[in-house]
Amino acid sequence: MEQPDIIVKAENVNKYFGSLHVLKNINFEVRKNEVVVILGPSGSGKSTLLRCINHLEKINSGHIYVNGHMIGYTERDGKLIEDHEANIARQRAEIGMVFQRFNLFPHLTALENIIEAPVHVRGLPVEQARFEGERLLERVGLANKRDQYPRQLSGGQQQRVAIARALAMKPGLMLFDEPTSALDPEMIGEVLDVMKELAHEMTMIVVSHEMGFTRAAAHRVVFMDEGQIIEQGTPEAFFTNPKEERSRLFLSQILH
Amino acid sequence: MYHFDWSVFWHYVWPLTAFQDPLIRNGLVVTVVVSIIAQTLGTLFGLFAALGKMSKVRVIRWLAEGYIWYFRGTPLLVQMMLLYFGLGVTHIFDFNDINIGFLTIAGPLQAGTLALAINEGAYMSEIIRAGIESIDSGQMEAAKSLGMKYSLTMQRIILPQAAKVIIPPLGNEFNNMMKTTSLMLIISASELFFAFSQANARLFKPFELFIAASLYYLMLTTIWSFIQSRIEERLGERKGDDKNAGMLKRFFSGAPDSSWGGH
Repeated sequence: MEQPDIIVKAENVNKYFGSLHVLKNINFEVRKNEVVVILGPSGSGKSTLLRCINHLEKINSGHIYVNGHMIGYTERDGKLIEDHEANIARQRAEIGMVFQRFNLFPHLTALENIIEAPVHVRGLPVEQARFEGERLLERVGLANKRDQYPRQLSGGQQQRVAIARALAMKPGLMLFDEPTSALDPEMIGEVLDVMKELAHEMTMIVVSHEMGFTRAAAHRVVFMDEGQIIEQGTPEAFFTNPKEERSRLFLSQILH
Repeated sequence: MYHFDWSVFWHYVWPLTAFQDPLIRNGLVVTVVVSIIAQTLGTLFGLFAALGKMSKVRVIRWLAEGYIWYFRGTPLLVQMMLLYFGLGVTHIFDFNDINIGFLTIAGPLQAGTLALAINEGAYMSEIIRAGIESIDSGQMEAAKSLGMKYSLTMQRIILPQAAKVIIPPLGNEFNNMMKTTSLMLIISASELFFAFSQANARLFKPFELFIAASLYYLMLTTIWSFIQSRIEERLGERKGDDKNAGMLKRFFSGAPDSSWGGH
């Protein structure tokens, strides 16, 4: 790819769930160190787009490049052929993902969750992985929860461990799929604080309706509806002066 | 009125006298050892069949389904006879005695153990598959997103969690296995029931001897029930349950489910 500072590039991406056309000709770019928030009503395809970026979902046509390499597929005679598992895994290791339901490994402690992939995917020595893992736990404010199991942690704490787990692979890109929508209101702040800190130094794509975070940390807002990108812009421009009718309608619904 | 021969009965119930008959002594050991080996192999076969049935590759899926279909759909007795006599007569495979030092493992014993294991694998595959499928799909996604491959994810993330679901029914399978080994009588493998049948052939005291035999099986399954209860308690599976009630219930209800023909 020409521009080296483009981390994610989606070209004419289409995806169907059966006969349902969930992503319609998506074109989308994210630059290095950019923080992009994807907004949209439920069913607009925003989570699906995010999940296509690390190939948790397949696409039907188009291309998605991450770090300059097509993800999930190789192309032969104009046809997409799904890549080997090892190649997909290698690319995913460079992309961190945080899920709505945390998805921590319940049989492992907080620290064990964090060092699992560095040790078994990267081959890092356990001692070094533990050392780095403990630094990450400090960073998300949970150094004292090192040996706790996920069930012993609150939702907000679990999500912070999940963020540390993703960061442990030192990814160049972080994907957040509605990271606060399964949390009790009083725990949302602690997770957003960690994300705001990260936003200074990482490329992030965040699917979220958190206005506070978006205003404080996002460089760009992407608004999606019915599988299409309707509008993009700075948070300031989007929230105060949306150009499209559908954007205005959506904003009036979430802002009341 | 039938005259119950107490002397024969006690002779064969009391281990010190019963074990004077080497067939009984060895038979008891064989039953336990064969049960452990067949259950272990069967669990391994079941794991492969379960993974095979969930495979993306159609041929592997068909092979796994065919295996499960055949071995759950036909009697174990038939499978055992087919494996031992069927393969023997065609010379596809002869189960010859194997000598390891002073130990001789007779052909029928090998065939019987293998038949038990293969049959058990078909049942275990369903238990293991249910265990794997009980794990939230988010676990697989989280592992994938960290760059873990399928095999690594299975080993490190899915199976350790599925084990908690699999172990209680696995314990019941082992209970069944110890009883089902008696079917090896049909190919003259000298396990516990074979030993009692031989004694009966000599003495013709079927009532006394088969009650004695059943007491030996009852001892094995009861000991196992206690061990199983301990394992399950340790797994913390008995949420909200009165632990002792669970154990006593299991003890006095005797061996759970099924007898001849396994399942």
